[in-house]
Amino acid sequence: MDTFILLFDGLGTAMQPMNLMFALLGVMLGTAVGVMPGIGPALTVALLLPVSLSFGATGSMIMFAGIYYGGMYGGAISSILLNTPGETASIMTALEGNRMAKRGRGGKALGAAAFGSFFGGMFATLGLAIVAPFMVMVALSFGTAEYFALMVLSFMTVSAAFGGSMSRGLTALFIGLTIGIVGTDKLTGQVRLAFGIPEMSDNISIAIVAVGLFAIGETMYLASQHINHKTKAQAVSGSVWLNWSDFKRCIRPYIRGTGLGFLFGPLPTGGAEIPTFLSYTTEKRLATGEARREFDEGLGAIEGVAGPEAANNASAAGTLIPLLTLGLPTSATAAMMLAGFQQYGLQPGPLLFTNNAELVWGLVASLFIANLMLVVLNVPFIGIWVKLLTIPRPWLYAGILTFATLGIVGAQGSPFALVLLLGFGLVGFVMRRFGYPLAPALVGAILGPLAEEQLRRGLMINQGDWWFLLNSNIALTIYAIALLSIFGPRLWSFTRKAIRQNKGAHS
Amino acid sequence: MSGDPKNKAAEEELRLPFEDEPAGGTGKRDAAGLVIAVALFALAAVIVNDASGYTIRRSYARFGPEIVPYVIASGITILAVITVIMAWRGQFEARDRLNIGGLSWLVGGILVEIVMLYGGTGFIAGSAVLFACAARAFGQATLLLNLAIGAVLSTLLFLLFRYGLGLSLPSGPLERAIDLLVR
Repeated sequence: MDTFILLFDGLGTAMQPMNLMFALLGVMLGTAVGVMPGIGPALTVALLLPVSLSFGATGSMIMFAGIYYGGMYGGAISSILLNTPGETASIMTALEGNRMAKRGRGGKALGAAAFGSFFGGMFATLGLAIVAPFMVMVALSFGTAEYFALMVLSFMTVSAAFGGSMSRGLTALFIGLTIGIVGTDKLTGQVRLAFGIPEMSDNISIAIVAVGLFAIGETMYLASQHINHKTKAQAVSGSVWLNWSDFKRCIRPYIRGTGLGFLFGPLPTGGAEIPTFLSYTTEKRLATGEARREFDEGLGAIEGVAGPEAANNASAAGTLIPLLTLGLPTSATAAMMLAGFQQYGLQPGPLLFTNNAELVWGLVASLFIANLMLVVLNVPFIGIWVKLLTIPRPWLYAGILTFATLGIVGAQGSPFALVLLLGFGLVGFVMRRFGYPLAPALVGAILGPLAEEQLRRGLMINQGDWWFLLNSNIALTIYAIALLSIFGPRLWSFTRKAIRQNKGAHS
Repeated sequence: MSGDPKNKAAEEELRLPFEDEPAGGTGKRDAAGLVIAVALFALAAVIVNDASGYTIRRSYARFGPEIVPYVIASGITILAVITVIMAWRGQFEARDRLNIGGLSWLVGGILVEIVMLYGGTGFIAGSAVLFACAARAFGQATLLLNLAIGAVLSTLLFLLFRYGLGLSLPSGPLERAIDLLVR
């Protein structure tokens, strides 16, 4: 098995002391930000993009992946103890988890979450290592038409799945695409939309866009709300270690959650929201006996924590499959990681596996190590993370803002970067306030220039004939999937509603 | 549908993220939404205006750097029209009252930092002011204490990033003094 030889080599890379340190740094940062409500892994990677330039490609990618996994672990803590999910992936965990915490079983919920994350993360990473080489083989046959189709698929699904409304998702996408064309055109050297400003004519750094939209926009949104930023956390009660009977209740949800997460993670439907939701509803539906009673009476069932937590970590691993093999981000954090690769002049895709095998397999191997680190950090040392919840919110947000501006100013070396940052922050704030999703804007800004390059190269080869786009069965299949992923869910909810109304009419 | 409120709450919980489209909406004409639509029209106009000025090149592609901007501008125009319809029909969700005080402290803090950095006061002073204003924006009214914490934090960050990672941060008198001390 080639995969295992490569993975073994990767383990050698990942075990280098510096890389182990980056992994540890990543998982600690990831857990820390996952714990804090309002800051997700995408935001953390964005904040670290500019400063990570001095870490080297392998080191910073290992760190970013650690943040991604760590965020999934940490998110469970704030969901369970505060009932405010740190990121969208742990919304479902909050439902049963917080009920358990209120009834003195917070420790058990945290334990189930941590082991679930470990289980999901480990098996899905193994799946990633096995599936990725096959995807690479398929992807190697892709030409411009197929790549362009893939990017259209990514654009469409990211706009349809995030947030509520399709038109707002598309608007966000087009704002991102506009940001993407600012600067010097790669093929002709034509300067576009720079208005004579030198900082803009050599392309806006994606870090400014990301930090502006996510970090600055989000803090503005939080500051614009009339809420008390001082809420109290539930204390951890009871042991976090699971006994045999707890474990027996958790194992099936773990397996189902991992399957769902790994299945949905690579699909461009927006990361962990759908698999965690499906995992929760599955557990609720299948519950019997004690669990049935706990679900129905709102006492908090451990299955409802175990399933979604396994699912969100598994989906994080699943997301890395299209990211590494095709260069397609299917979640906001993956989009940030893509920007991280681009920072080093690396383009994820099948060629990455042949040209930078050491980096790719080192990264995959480090995910196993990160998972081991995380389960240690999150079970015996859970108390440290809970302490983080006691930092006064005003200083926490102020510190994030300070850090964000530091990274941007430091990397760009000019105060003008801050003007742009403020501008994107205001755009992000308005979008957030009016219910526009932010992820499509980011994906548009990152993938837009790549899609344009594929399109215009294709046009050049085919002498200006647009039909080449549809002249490939693979491309046509991808477009069909894109259409299905947009209209499928709508059709499904429509039929579900119709059935529900029918039932209502009969009873 | 059953009228039991408990069941209804459960239904609410179990909606998929993309299912809430028809549910929201105030049904009232939304002026702010119309402003967004106008901004989108303006953006499209700016893009078209910019693209029409590119130098024409003859190539095999028959399409130059202007083609994608035109595609994007037409997309934005269509979406602006949809936004007008949405705002007219009141399809935007109800928004909470805006906390203008908090927002202005935050935006003001960033603006002051920009001015200070252009004015050459250096990173540490600028960040400390930003920290103080931002904490104020989130309801921490102790400005002097905020400033002190901000100063300590940004000095630590400066040392870490200047000497640990070698980032070049805008220098003022304070930063130059530290530089002299370190050397």
